[in-house]
Amino acid sequence: MADCQHTWEMTGITFGFVVFEKCFHCKDLRTYFTEEDHPYLGEGYREDDHYWNRMEAAQTFQFDLKCNRCGHVEPFRDLMGLLHCTGCLDDCPVNIRRLELEKDHTFVLVAFGFLPQAIKTPIPEKKLDLLTDYFNSRRDTSRSKIQILPFTLIEDLPRCKGDFIHDIGMLSQEPVTERKPLL
Amino acid sequence: MTVNEMAQEVGLKSLSTYEDRPVNGVFVSDMVSDVMAGAKSGNLWLTVQTHKSIVPAANLVDVSAVIITGGKDVPAETVELASKFNIAVLSSDLPTFELVGKLYQLGLGSS
Repeated sequence: MADCQHTWEMTGITFGFVVFEKCFHCKDLRTYFTEEDHPYLGEGYREDDHYWNRMEAAQTFQFDLKCNRCGHVEPFRDLMGLLHCTGCLDDCPVNIRRLELEKDHTFVLVAFGFLPQAIKTPIPEKKLDLLTDYFNSRRDTSRSKIQILPFTLIEDLPRCKGDFIHDIGMLSQEPVTERKPLL
Repeated sequence: MTVNEMAQEVGLKSLSTYEDRPVNGVFVSDMVSDVMAGAKSGNLWLTVQTHKSIVPAANLVDVSAVIITGGKDVPAETVELASKFNIAVLSSDLPTFELVGKLYQLGLGSS
């Protein structure tokens, strides 16, 4: 297995929601994945010193990567989502890196772990490299490539106005065209 | 068949600037998570979603074009972002079901 030139495919695909909660007392943010049919937004609840409010529930999915040569499974349940950098902060390291890589037809996405635990224990870069390899294996890389970056590069998270690649407002009668910043 | 040939055959309107490329199958979904999990490189992606987040999703899975169906208005920022990524965003007044029928008649199926 150690010598295997892995070729990855998605496995264990589970559709659900990422819920974003904010404490209106300390402004802390937390996120988690749920398979609830319809996560309820609205009423807050108290937990110790926190007063949590569900701000958003975004439809998304979880998966693992499985090598279809050796069968090794690399779990990605710690991946909350992929964010598209909108270049909102000129001096953000992600934006700087994005502009460098785009000159070479390489497009970046930022991988987020679940908050707050991912701030102390981010997704290992080795796993992000696997994810980059996987998405590049699904495309013609002679035209363009993907690079997955860690969210820990974002120095000013509360000011980030990047767009997560997930679905919100799916139960709305009209497609959502405006999204509020979630971080 | 390329994106431009297909667009002409079924009467689509080009919204973004893009590089023409071969089409490889059709993927129908209004959920970006579904697209990320299941769409293949070169697919035509049919959707009614118009938010600009469809562009990085389309780019991530390397679809050949995004076709917005049902005559939905596509915001300018979605078109601008798609042009920047060189991704074809096309529109059709037809409902998804009817457009799929036309594409099927052209010999395009799910990949």
